[in-house]
Amino acid sequence: MNDERFFRRLAEKTDAGPGTAGRAPARLKSRLYSAIVVEQSASGPLRSLAATKASGRPLCVFEHVLHVVKNDRIVSMNPCRVCHARVLAEHFESPPIYWPHCPYVDFQRR
Amino acid sequence: MSPDPLSVIESAGRTAGPRTPTPSAEEQALLAAVLAKDRKAAAEFVSRYADGVYAYVSRRLAPRADLVEDVVQDVFLAALQKLATFAGQSSVAGWLLGIARHKVEDFYRAQLRAPDPLPDEGEAPSTSSTVGPGLDELIDAARAQEKTRRILGRLPAAYSVALLWRYWEKRSVKEMAAEAGKTEKAIERLLARARTSFRRLWEAS
Repeated sequence: MNDERFFRRLAEKTDAGPGTAGRAPARLKSRLYSAIVVEQSASGPLRSLAATKASGRPLCVFEHVLHVVKNDRIVSMNPCRVCHARVLAEHFESPPIYWPHCPYVDFQRR
Repeated sequence: MSPDPLSVIESAGRTAGPRTPTPSAEEQALLAAVLAKDRKAAAEFVSRYADGVYAYVSRRLAPRADLVEDVVQDVFLAALQKLATFAGQSSVAGWLLGIARHKVEDFYRAQLRAPDPLPDEGEAPSTSSTVGPGLDELIDAARAQEKTRRILGRLPAAYSVALLWRYWEKRSVKEMAAEAGKTEKAIERLLARARTSFRRLWEAS
């Protein structure tokens, strides 16, 4: 069988990709989320935590602490930047983090 | 058994009944919130679409699993930049897969533009062979599949990409040459060396 025909047949019979396309690792989702938020922060403040909460999206305990402060700059801060949950979630697939309403914890569950 | 993430992303944006190619009201609200820099919306955006994009990129970049995560991140950051101009003419999932397709092809192009790997010692491009595997061996599809992946993973990146693009993606040599900025002759030579290396590994294993 010549090369051309061999490879055409092989490609018809096989899928070169992974047998079953798995779900994205939670570690990757954590990295994606962090990258998006960093990118968004670079061009100005994030939506305030009060507005986020008002839109029906619950806050984690750290965000909640910032949210009660009456200061526009503080309520737009990104506490994840200095949070251990982010660091652990970006590097480990099942890190020991359990905060309610933390996106990094949610990525592990979904 | 969990559903295939690709089918999940392809079905995202559908509502009950016939498929809707445009974003649902819920998706539009999510995109608006991401544009408003709502961090929780960004998390939901990732949760909702990362599996599908990851599945697509994994399949297209195989066997270069080591590059998949970086390409997926590029897709999401590109999507973020283009979000404000997303006209909603397709589902969000379809739009993201379109970006992913371009990113994967960028990767293919970059691999083919790189200098050709040096041929193995004694390697002579061949256009035909009378020995080695025939149709009978290909009949065992599962075995062929595993073997194919393994061999593609062992080849230099330019070889595996050239074979994937030519045979699995069914691109013509002319298209590959245009995309890679090389002559058709150069692509033919690269393919010939890639085929020879692949077949040598195939026959040896």
